[in-house]
Amino acid sequence: MTDRIPRLGIGGPVGSGKSMLIERVVPVLASKGYSISIISNDVISKEDADRMRKNLATDRGLLPENLVIGIATGGCPHTAIREDPSINISVIEELEEKHPELDLIIIESGGDNITTTFSPSLADYSIYIIDVAGGDKYPRKSGLGIESCDLLVINKIDLAPHVGADLNVMEQDAVRIRKDKPHVFVNCKNNTGIDKVSEHIVRDLLFDSPPKVTLSNRQR
Amino acid sequence: MNIDDMRQDLGMMQMSDSFFPTGLYANSNGLESIFQNNKKITHLEVGRIIETQLKQQIGPTDLIVMENALRFASAREFDKILELDMKINSIKNIREVREASKRSGIQLVRCVREFIKDEIIEEYLKFHQIGMISGAYPVSFGLCANALGIGPQKAGLMFLYGFTVSVVGAASRMGITQHYQAQKIIHELKPLIAQIVSESLDKSTKEIWQFAPHLEILQMHHERIDYKMFIT
Repeated sequence: MTDRIPRLGIGGPVGSGKSMLIERVVPVLASKGYSISIISNDVISKEDADRMRKNLATDRGLLPENLVIGIATGGCPHTAIREDPSINISVIEELEEKHPELDLIIIESGGDNITTTFSPSLADYSIYIIDVAGGDKYPRKSGLGIESCDLLVINKIDLAPHVGADLNVMEQDAVRIRKDKPHVFVNCKNNTGIDKVSEHIVRDLLFDSPPKVTLSNRQR
Repeated sequence: MNIDDMRQDLGMMQMSDSFFPTGLYANSNGLESIFQNNKKITHLEVGRIIETQLKQQIGPTDLIVMENALRFASAREFDKILELDMKINSIKNIREVREASKRSGIQLVRCVREFIKDEIIEEYLKFHQIGMISGAYPVSFGLCANALGIGPQKAGLMFLYGFTVSVVGAASRMGITQHYQAQKIIHELKPLIAQIVSESLDKSTKEIWQFAPHLEILQMHHERIDYKMFIT
């Protein structure tokens, strides 16, 4: 059997900024030398996977194009990461077999469901992302996705004054609902908070392990 | 009905339940391609499409492979299982369908292995590990049914029923059928499923065939669709 590569699940409603978060975090992790693959569970199109492939692989060369993979989920993205993650696991096992050099596999899944969680057999660490445009009630509404994820990311904080969302309320509710679990306010547009998210991933999922393949070896 | 029979039936219920993790819910088996070509498709046509698939594709090929795999597993004839795995892969012309079948098959076997010890399944997974077995879904399904003590007839019913439900489920999610119509389609296909299973039981792998060219072309088109919900 091949070794299990650490798996990060990123879930959240459509439009909350999952793909954008990945597009911001991957360059930070890649600059530290980590090799990454991305699996995007799309509800209907390959658009997210195609965009991430173009922006991260084709244009910037941060990972090979074939390591950004789109998966069709039969309209059931929640099922594909929770009750029946077999399609995702199958693709991940193929990745682990062919690319043991990977340090991290990111699994993205959307869908408007605040109860979205990742099967423990699929993801070792999960991020749930919401955005302030959904209203400052969002963390208070709880739901397993918000409550049980390892890291709650609250995106688009620049929009707060425009949509009447109070970040203090969101902060207090996030602390109350999630108890000791962390949350980070971000603005993916200008990279605010992205370093903090990356630090959580490196520390809490990768346990500060160095990259398997060093940058100098990769460039040779 | 004695306790053994009841256990067998429970195994049958477990494996044919949509909660059983095989990834089949993400397959439309070409229906999405047909839908995108003709948005006016009705629930009546969905029944006819499944009927064609059962008669011309799944029944004469996958079902017979599955039943033979089950028998070979029961007789501990592993070489024949290897041969069967190669055979079904050579018959499945559509890459998308072939790849989905392998992935679902291996995940199915891995799931069953979590709660049943079976020598053939262990051997099968070892050969898969070294790339000598693809894990095609019909073969994997036959092995799992055998491990659960389910006979060929019941396994055949489960197999075709599971296929039917996955396509009808896809039709519902695409908005072609509503929930009552979906159950009506399944109900109306029961006689055909029973007939195909009863006629397939003693067939050898030499009798495998399939002929659904129009459907296959549509299934091939699916691979190139940009906006899609389903794997196949």
